[in-house]
Amino acid sequence: MLFTWFTLAGFIFLFSPGNLTNKFQFAFHRIFRWPLRIGRNISLSAGTRQPLREKDVVSRDEYKRLLNHLANVIQQRNDAHQTVQKLSKMRNISAWERMGFVPADVITVSINELRSELIINRGQDDGLAKDQFVLADNSVIGTIADVDAHTARVKLFTDPTSNNIAVKIGNSKCLIQGSGGNLAKISMAKYKVKVGSEVMAGKKPGFLDTPMIIGKVARCEHNAEPLLWDIMVEPVCNIQEAENVVVIVMNPTD
Amino acid sequence: MRWFRFAVLVLLATVLQASFFVDLNIKPDLLLILLVFFAIYCNTSNAIICSFTIGFAADLIGRTMGPQMIGFGLFGTALAYLHQVVAIRKMTYQALVIFITALLAGSMVYFLNFLKGEPTPQNMFAALFGIALYSALVGPFLFLPSAWWMRIKISRFSRR
Repeated sequence: MLFTWFTLAGFIFLFSPGNLTNKFQFAFHRIFRWPLRIGRNISLSAGTRQPLREKDVVSRDEYKRLLNHLANVIQQRNDAHQTVQKLSKMRNISAWERMGFVPADVITVSINELRSELIINRGQDDGLAKDQFVLADNSVIGTIADVDAHTARVKLFTDPTSNNIAVKIGNSKCLIQGSGGNLAKISMAKYKVKVGSEVMAGKKPGFLDTPMIIGKVARCEHNAEPLLWDIMVEPVCNIQEAENVVVIVMNPTD
Repeated sequence: MRWFRFAVLVLLATVLQASFFVDLNIKPDLLLILLVFFAIYCNTSNAIICSFTIGFAADLIGRTMGPQMIGFGLFGTALAYLHQVVAIRKMTYQALVIFITALLAGSMVYFLNFLKGEPTPQNMFAALFGIALYSALVGPFLFLPSAWWMRIKISRFSRR
């Protein structure tokens, strides 16, 4: 009898709408966010953090030079933008100005062969909604999969069950699908691409108004079909160690 | 059965599984190890309650709610009944039982997720095999501290 009642309860959970049953999962992550964060920090500090390599380090002078170069480039871009506005005589708001950015803390990260997800501490009350893009270190890392009032689940683009995201490599457009283990795959590309090439997430009206970097090419292998290529893409940021992310909310009300 | 100690143990395992072990590609499933432990060392009705509760805890940190509660409950109950007939006391047998239970319960979870319309990862059997293998290797050694915490006397070579 006990077994029957518990099994029935299990099937009720299984076939109830996801937005109802997810509340249990979000509540658990909210209540236990401190022990979960401590466990993750211990895991990160016990893990094999890569030592800083010489080629990853720049001198203070080089850093200042790059920072100045960035400031000049931003100024040139703004000037060019104003010139275009004057010439076209149209008020043109750049994509960045239409975007709202909601910063969020990461509660848990799970990145393995079967799942690539984050739980973050922002929800519907902060303007989050399903399918919004999520950034870490100025690169797209995934989209919002489930959301409740104060918590949301981010499905990374490397998740094996993630929705296909339209991307661009050079001038060719294609779809990217997660394959687990912090990698995603572009199947049956027509051209071979160089390892290290940038992969940009394409525009998605209402969610992303300007292309943004999503990853870089890790491998380019022959497909079983002749003349076609399978491209493996890796994120350009270290998601496992990310403590904060930013959610893009288009046309924020305030 | 000391239910408060049981709750603390399951919560600890759930938090560890969702934080400390979460980034590893191949990792032991602490909740599955606890499932086998309680199925072996509790009486049948307690084992059924423990199995479904542990399954519920696994669902809390899983992809969807329900599949692990059913899978863990079903195989935990089956194991509790099996243990009335066959004693599972030796560490090698316990490891074998953990390995088989992990494969069966994991396959059932993916089948139930498939029924719900959830997409299935392509490499799920490889990952499932890794989790089952690691759980089987680590599990029997975790039985001793679990038994100490639950104040359960375990004898490796005698029938209950």
